[in-house]
Amino acid sequence: MVQYEPFKRVSGTRQDFDRQVATVCQECTVGCGLTAYVKDEGIVDLQGREDHPISKGRLCPKGSAFVQGLAHSQRITIPAYRNTLTRGFESATSWEQALDQLAERLRRLKDKHGAESLIIGCDPEAGLDFYLGARRFARLWGTPHVYHPWEETEQATRLAQELPVSPSSEWIESRCLLLVDADLAVTHPVAFGRVLKAQGNGAKLIVADSRYTASMSKADLAVPIRPGSGNLLGLYLLKQLLDEGLEHKDAIEAGFEQADNWQASFDRMVWDGVENHTHVTREDVLNISRFISSKHPVTVITGKRLAHSPDFGIWRTLAAAMGWIGHPGGGWYPMDAGLPRVHPDTDIEEPPPENFSPRLAPFPYQNRSGSNEELLFQGLIGSGNCLDDFFLPVRRQSPKMELIVHFGAFPNETCQQAHMVFSAAAWAERDGLCWSIDRALQWAPRILPPADASHSGLGFWAGLAQRLGWDEFFPWIRKDGRADRFEFYRWLLKRDPQTASCDLSQLRDNQDLFFWTDKTEFPEAGETPQFYTQNGRIKPVDAPELPTAEDSDIDDGEYPLYFQSTRIVTRGGDAGNWWPWTAELEDVDAIQIHPDTAGVLGIENGDAVVVNSPKGCLEGRAWISRMVDRRMVWSPRRLEGDHVLLLKKGQSADEALNLLKENTP
Amino acid sequence: MSNKRINALMIESSRCMGCQSCEVACKLEHELPAGPRPVKVIQIGPLQTDNGLAMRYETVTCYHCDRAACVAACPTGAMQKRPDGIVFSDPELCIGCQTCAVACPFGVPELNPATGKIAKCDGCRDRVDQGLWPSCALKCPSGCLSFGTPMRVVNDLRTREALTIVRTLAVR
Repeated sequence: MVQYEPFKRVSGTRQDFDRQVATVCQECTVGCGLTAYVKDEGIVDLQGREDHPISKGRLCPKGSAFVQGLAHSQRITIPAYRNTLTRGFESATSWEQALDQLAERLRRLKDKHGAESLIIGCDPEAGLDFYLGARRFARLWGTPHVYHPWEETEQATRLAQELPVSPSSEWIESRCLLLVDADLAVTHPVAFGRVLKAQGNGAKLIVADSRYTASMSKADLAVPIRPGSGNLLGLYLLKQLLDEGLEHKDAIEAGFEQADNWQASFDRMVWDGVENHTHVTREDVLNISRFISSKHPVTVITGKRLAHSPDFGIWRTLAAAMGWIGHPGGGWYPMDAGLPRVHPDTDIEEPPPENFSPRLAPFPYQNRSGSNEELLFQGLIGSGNCLDDFFLPVRRQSPKMELIVHFGAFPNETCQQAHMVFSAAAWAERDGLCWSIDRALQWAPRILPPADASHSGLGFWAGLAQRLGWDEFFPWIRKDGRADRFEFYRWLLKRDPQTASCDLSQLRDNQDLFFWTDKTEFPEAGETPQFYTQNGRIKPVDAPELPTAEDSDIDDGEYPLYFQSTRIVTRGGDAGNWWPWTAELEDVDAIQIHPDTAGVLGIENGDAVVVNSPKGCLEGRAWISRMVDRRMVWSPRRLEGDHVLLLKKGQSADEALNLLKENTP
Repeated sequence: MSNKRINALMIESSRCMGCQSCEVACKLEHELPAGPRPVKVIQIGPLQTDNGLAMRYETVTCYHCDRAACVAACPTGAMQKRPDGIVFSDPELCIGCQTCAVACPFGVPELNPATGKIAKCDGCRDRVDQGLWPSCALKCPSGCLSFGTPMRVVNDLRTREALTIVRTLAVR
């Protein structure tokens, strides 16, 4: 065999610099190592760290582009306030004065409307410490309404914790990679680089998605599926494998609880309607299942969207039943599920307020009793652009709220609704603990000091808690008034056996990685892996009595098209919307429409179009493309609702609806 | 012919995932504002084919032509070709007349609105002179862009292709 020596990439900078900072990019959760070259407290160049075990020198566009936000002319660097939304903001004299005022306004809010009238929204850009600080603050304050998009992956994390992990560096050993509703090429390009490397090493790539994505364009086998049917595809694949006896019988016998009942549930599952439910034909299910059963090991990589459904565990069940788990390059890899267990508030022994429910799952705007009655809030503390993003349902209430506080760096839509604004330090301006989807923890030193009166999320909550008399619960404030983030994370990691052995000093000083689940000792050939549960077995997902997807392919009511919103490659969080160089690379106002649908409605590329859902509307420019199915509309902007009506601007809803109904085959 | 070492930027578009890292890297390296994009990723498709949909990304940049039309057309001598093949525009001499942009058959030179001068791939000549890789190639996470002597990059591509075929056969 020819020995291949890969190219040696020659990195370095031509710029003059005073110092280099080796840190970790925090634009997403891959955890890529980067080197920043700094001169006169400004970043003059950036590069990936060639010696970094996760990223090996690679960076994605977000990892290079973030510098544009740091010295941005519109950046918020001092707190500001106003009494009514009709007036402009006045700058606070200091961070401390603004916190005094906020504490006073919060006290009044609590007296008038009670503790639970406050809701807190945390976006990933504000950092893990903003979220953890918020949980701790909310516990003391007495509101259960704290929300972070990471909570969507809690189910995935819990299920994945019981499995031996095969990190992305081992995908190269894989013989087949199955991506379901995961467009890694856009969301995590550096991780997708590893997928391509595995493919170059002979692995086959299967991509199932409801949109023809960048990742799908690289697939050896592209499987277009019905929106929202990803987990159902997993159920059908597993049924096919079991029907043909292609499962790994020893792995099931050794690793599954009540394997007989589980297997019987798949015997009862029927094939009727498979194509209607998933848009995948019976024959294609057969072909895919035979294909994946002929490859060993296979890694199944699933996207965050799938985690909303109770059948999500099917991918773990599939990987375990096929015996892929416990082999390098095999198993289940749920995206964004690498955060270890954290207990930011369980040490607080003060009796909670009556009827206090510590967590409110899955969404804060859902009534705790599970009914659809909407909860009403009077106060909101939100980071990033939450009201225009994951807090869209809360936005409907925001005009009536008494107090909205924006913790962020840019005057975005949430800021426009706010009464008080607190300047947030960017991730490059704060030391912090990073967690990666490979289940590794890393210490990321800051590159620059915080801009003016910008503070970290922990600093914000600790300062506020101090003013409400809860100093003892937030002891991580240094003499200079800033948060001691190192001590906070050290305290946090000691609170769970999973992370207690992590030496944070070593992580910081040696730039080490700490894998919080031990990488498995791979079993010898013929042996089955041990799961990290009390009896060494996992509970498999049973086949449902009947598939839960709707029967009708298109809702024939007023909203006949599916709507999907996903991230674009050059922008991560809200800050990305303010980066001047990258603004031109992708159009955030684009609305993707299939050529047939556009033809029916008389829409041409670039036309102004409107997307209506029962709960809102979105305006943008038509991007006619076969990336979407003719029954689907896509945009990078968020809109509440899965079913929509599309119209050309100026067209009436009735006209558009009639055209769509008359011309849909 | 100079003895100066000639390097080539290899673009293997089949590996491009459309992430635009190269574009952002170039902007950062050359402090370019919105507007000029010396390296550009173009999405083609998805197109309907007999085997379903097909889509690919093409990374395009200056070809640094041997007989560069832009160099011949430039009235001030700002556009030059170095002995190592790099075609670049000297900002000290450029008057922003854009004759080069008209002359270029590929539409490569663009005006930098911030300086009023031509922005065009300069092969990262300052980096290359220090023995470093061009910024776009260094920051490409897909392996689509690589840099080295023509012999080296072509050999690398051939070896990798051969290994892919061997491995695919071996694991079939």
